[in-house]
Amino acid sequence: MALADYSNALMPETRGFSTSTLPSVDDPEKAFADITRQDYENYIQDYRGFEESLIDKAKKDTSLIDRAPEDAAKQAGIAKGVQERNISRYGGAGLSIAQRQEQQRALQRQGQLGLAGSLNTARTAQRDINQSTLADLINIGQGVNRSSLAGMQTASQNAAAKASAYKNAKAAHTSSMVGLGSSLAATAILAFAI
Amino acid sequence: MSSKPKQQDYQASEAEKTQASVAKEEKSYFNKTYGPLLREMRDVSMREDLGGVARGVAGADTMQSLTGQGPSLTGTKSVDEAADLASAAVGQMAAASAQGLAASRQQQTGVLGTARGQAGEAMSGLAAASRIQNTKDLEAAKAKQMVRMAQTEAAVNLGSTLFKQGAKNLGSGSSLFGGTTYATDAAGNRVAATEANQDKKNTWSDRFSMGIYG
Repeated sequence: MALADYSNALMPETRGFSTSTLPSVDDPEKAFADITRQDYENYIQDYRGFEESLIDKAKKDTSLIDRAPEDAAKQAGIAKGVQERNISRYGGAGLSIAQRQEQQRALQRQGQLGLAGSLNTARTAQRDINQSTLADLINIGQGVNRSSLAGMQTASQNAAAKASAYKNAKAAHTSSMVGLGSSLAATAILAFAI
Repeated sequence: MSSKPKQQDYQASEAEKTQASVAKEEKSYFNKTYGPLLREMRDVSMREDLGGVARGVAGADTMQSLTGQGPSLTGTKSVDEAADLASAAVGQMAAASAQGLAASRQQQTGVLGTARGQAGEAMSGLAAASRIQNTKDLEAAKAKQMVRMAQTEAAVNLGSTLFKQGAKNLGSGSSLFGGTTYATDAAGNRVAATEANQDKKNTWSDRFSMGIYG
């Protein structure tokens, strides 16, 4: 769809839109509380397991190391196949038995060296990837930690402000009642005195 | 004395209610539209075998680099060509597996970061996985193969030049390397050397002036 189509008759459902059609929210505080609760439930249902499995992998994954010996053997087999097909293509390529044996020895030697090398590379790469995944996860965790602390701080500040407002209102009420009582008493005394 | 506070004075204003209803609608749209997408990305990031993709690319690169020009007799006779191929392929595979795994992890942490409200990683894991760098083993094997091919080419060039020049030298009544100009009769045919008609030993400057080096 071309960009111009988004503003023409092909999008009738968005053209006649008005915010007055939105359901009204009379209690924004409750709506916000519901959304926060729902979001957290969604996270627990959909992502908590995923997060834990990722943390587990970042700590224990050895897939690269496990794969290295298999790869070394497979690639040596492929190279041997290529070599044999080429020799056959050139009708033996004029190689003596000693030369053939030396080729096989070189391939075997390289296979073992390749295995050792790829195991070393795999160990280093595995460690690097696991560490970097863990670092990313810790970064995410730090962000979560920061926002949860900020949320707690707001909640506790609001609670403290409400408690303080309640205390002040109570004091004001008591003072107002005392004032009212004393004024009534004064009026009564004056009434009796007159 | 002031009047009693009225409850309606402390209720949300019209502006606040509109703001809340827009925000609620946006949130609901986000959950409906992007929630399933993110869940799908989560599943894809767990299921997709980026290592396999990277390994496929690496295998093709290696074979294209080292066997793409077809077999050569020199390579076939070489003691270590197959060993070099194996070594380069193993190195490339190790690098590809590592790159694929790193891309998978990047995608997974990106999904989790987005789900947790943190900044997501924009780069697609697949794109990262298919950009395999050549390992030093592959570069070394390629360089070795190039040297081997260049040596063969040089030998063939040298041999064919020698053959052509030698034939020309022989045709013009000189020895193969042009060191001697043989005695000839009037028709230009080679004859046995006599006192009067002797073979001539050519000096280096003679040879250059005759153009016998091609």
